[in-house]
Amino acid sequence: MRNIFIWVGISLGALLVIAFVALSVMAGGPKDALYMVRYALPHMHRGNLRVGDSAPDARIYALDGAETFHIRERTGAKPLVVVFGSFT
Amino acid sequence: MQIFDDYKDHADFLTVYVREAHPTDEWQMKSNVKDDVCYAQPRNLSDRLAIANDFIKRFKYPLPFGVDDMKNAANDAYAAWPERLYIIDENGKIAYRGGMGPFHYHPAEVRAWLATRYGEVKHPEVKTEEKKS
Repeated sequence: MRNIFIWVGISLGALLVIAFVALSVMAGGPKDALYMVRYALPHMHRGNLRVGDSAPDARIYALDGAETFHIRERTGAKPLVVVFGSFT
Repeated sequence: MQIFDDYKDHADFLTVYVREAHPTDEWQMKSNVKDDVCYAQPRNLSDRLAIANDFIKRFKYPLPFGVDDMKNAANDAYAAWPERLYIIDENGKIAYRGGMGPFHYHPAEVRAWLATRYGEVKHPEVKTEEKKS
């Protein structure tokens, strides 16, 4: 019985090592794998918007920071392609 | 951005700058250093606007552009971070929801949606220089 627990533990450990190595390869290195777990994983299942849902509105700043507009103001006449992203 | 050039007569475009994906004080990547794109996560709107303006200038970015507020309202509403694509139809409904970038960020899917509606825009193939015999 004791041997079973030992082998289960070894197997789980090996799986974790394999998973971490795979994540490291995908992310670009062990440090990036840890950052991926910290920063990206919590976001992976965020949001519940589906096709057909009403598009949420949000206030957006113009590049000068002085003016604002709403996403909804940009919709209506044509389909609106929205690209979210950052510099880095 | 080729899709913008191809379909700007049929669709409107809007780029929304959201919180940084790989700032120096969080998850900075080697490629950020290599490409000289090193910014700390903005803590106020003026810092966020400054980075957005740097981006526009560096790439001469042609699309209409806006910046999310410091409460990250647009980011939260659209689960936008780090990058994501949407199409909102004329009735204000989500017509296309892209996956979370970078692994599921596929502009080709946006192009396909637009092509289905407005027709495919073909570009001449770039001919490679023929080998001299």
